[in-house]
Amino acid sequence: MIEVDRVTKAFYTVVAVNDLSLDVPEGEVIGVLGPNGAGKTTLFKLLAGFLKPDKGRIRAKRLQWPAIGYKPERLLFPNQMRVLAYLEMIAALSNINSRDIRRVVYDSLSRVNLLDASQKQIRDCSKGMRQRLGLAQALIGDPPLLILDEPSNGLDPDGQATIASHIQQLRQMGKTILLSSHQLHEVTQVCTHLIIMNQGQILYERPMAEALIEQPHALIRVNQPLAPVAALLQSLHPEVVVQEQEIMLNNEAMGLRRQVLSILLAAGYDILKVEQQRVTLAEIYAEATR
Amino acid sequence: MIQRVATLCRYLTTSLLFSLTGVIYLIGTLVYYWLAFQQPSPEVSYFVLVIGLFGGAVTFLLTLSIASRANQAINFPLLVRLPSRVEYLAAVFLTAVTLGLMLQILVGLIALLHNGPSLSLSQAVEIPPVWLAINILAAALALHASELVTAGWSRVYLYGALAVLLFLQSNHSQVMSWIGGRFLALGNWFNGLGITALNFPLRNLANWLSVSGNDWLARIIAFVFWPIQAITEASMNGYFSRAQALAPAVLLLYATIIFMLAADLFANKDLHLHE
Repeated sequence: MIEVDRVTKAFYTVVAVNDLSLDVPEGEVIGVLGPNGAGKTTLFKLLAGFLKPDKGRIRAKRLQWPAIGYKPERLLFPNQMRVLAYLEMIAALSNINSRDIRRVVYDSLSRVNLLDASQKQIRDCSKGMRQRLGLAQALIGDPPLLILDEPSNGLDPDGQATIASHIQQLRQMGKTILLSSHQLHEVTQVCTHLIIMNQGQILYERPMAEALIEQPHALIRVNQPLAPVAALLQSLHPEVVVQEQEIMLNNEAMGLRRQVLSILLAAGYDILKVEQQRVTLAEIYAEATR
Repeated sequence: MIQRVATLCRYLTTSLLFSLTGVIYLIGTLVYYWLAFQQPSPEVSYFVLVIGLFGGAVTFLLTLSIASRANQAINFPLLVRLPSRVEYLAAVFLTAVTLGLMLQILVGLIALLHNGPSLSLSQAVEIPPVWLAINILAAALALHASELVTAGWSRVYLYGALAVLLFLQSNHSQVMSWIGGRFLALGNWFNGLGITALNFPLRNLANWLSVSGNDWLARIIAFVFWPIQAITEASMNGYFSRAQALAPAVLLLYATIIFMLAADLFANKDLHLHE
């Protein structure tokens, strides 16, 4: 749907996005993780067209108008307006026929369970309501691409669950969604694709299923220090990590379990524990941003 | 497009009018009326010029205020909806011109009712195009002074060029004779070095600049500032000659060029809206 080709964006001496390439496939929910200052918001602003790349190109498939619904990170709205009036204004800007505006707005409000607040002034809305309002405005006009910058930022667990369920519904509707978040469980729950960024670059990019399931590792614990056989074990595969009394077999090295165990038994070690594990998103994140 | 620009105009208008800034503009307008029309002023030219000046100034300030409101991060969701950023800029521009004209008409109407001149229909019909042309030019210029439009050193370039033109308007002969003098000195310097071949052309150039060059520059500057001069003269005389009647149209042409420059800058700049 959108192709980012070697894009660089710098603000004076700070390189926010550095030679980044990315293909945003249609119908995917892409979770972008990264520490503060990783370049997530800059990437989103580049995709939304608010910023122009210093180098590289962003190519988009020819999309219907409105093409993008954007929910900024900060919950900033014209506080003096009512929820309904604000959404009607967004609808009027989205090429929606004036006769259909009310229907479209109510539809969007009902999708995010905000119908009861339609007559409220925005300044009187709670944080959760404002997050849902942000989502509701992004949905108006049915844009095929949604860019949601930290959609559940600052919400309590119930609020986070509500937003996650809304995003899941949107995924079922076939929307392409780019979302950034610091809530790892939310990303695991709703995203189909995972990107981890740091210092303006993509450090990790994989389909979520592959990231979580196809990256298992095995842990073998023995009764004595492994120093005498460490060199031999490490020579088997670079993904064999030998620690004090533990051996970690990552990814492709998983297939060497039997061979490793034979070496250990032949060397007279007692095997205390053999554990096959799946990585968590927290581990992937920690590894990528280390 | 019209629906989108009209929606944005409505939004910007209400956001300004229902704010302290809006109240200040209203009070400022009434204070201006009070200052300008304290004494009975039956002169039509006074009415046209004083309120025309007010319109230009208030439109300039309104454009800055509205552009500053438009430059807030709350507007990112609106901007992403627009097929072209120029629609956003057009809304800022139209809102400022409309509000400026409304405040101008307010002063004009109060003045007509109290302490101002009485206008014939023909005089009343002649005034709005003049005021409007000045307001539109002021709004286009103000866009370049705003944070919303300016990119890099753009406002320094534009206002620098304007300042140079204004300076040359009153000092062109001194400037040209100074430049001529520099060329003459350069010719003498080359002469001292024994490069006599350059001395003659430089002397010729210096003479040309002091006489014909000065004349050319005076004509160019007079041409650039002609619409303003023509409007002022026509307002003082109380009627527009055929040539002077073109002056508002020329001002509109200037405004169009300046607005197009602003649109190009705005369309291609990074939007760092204030939070």
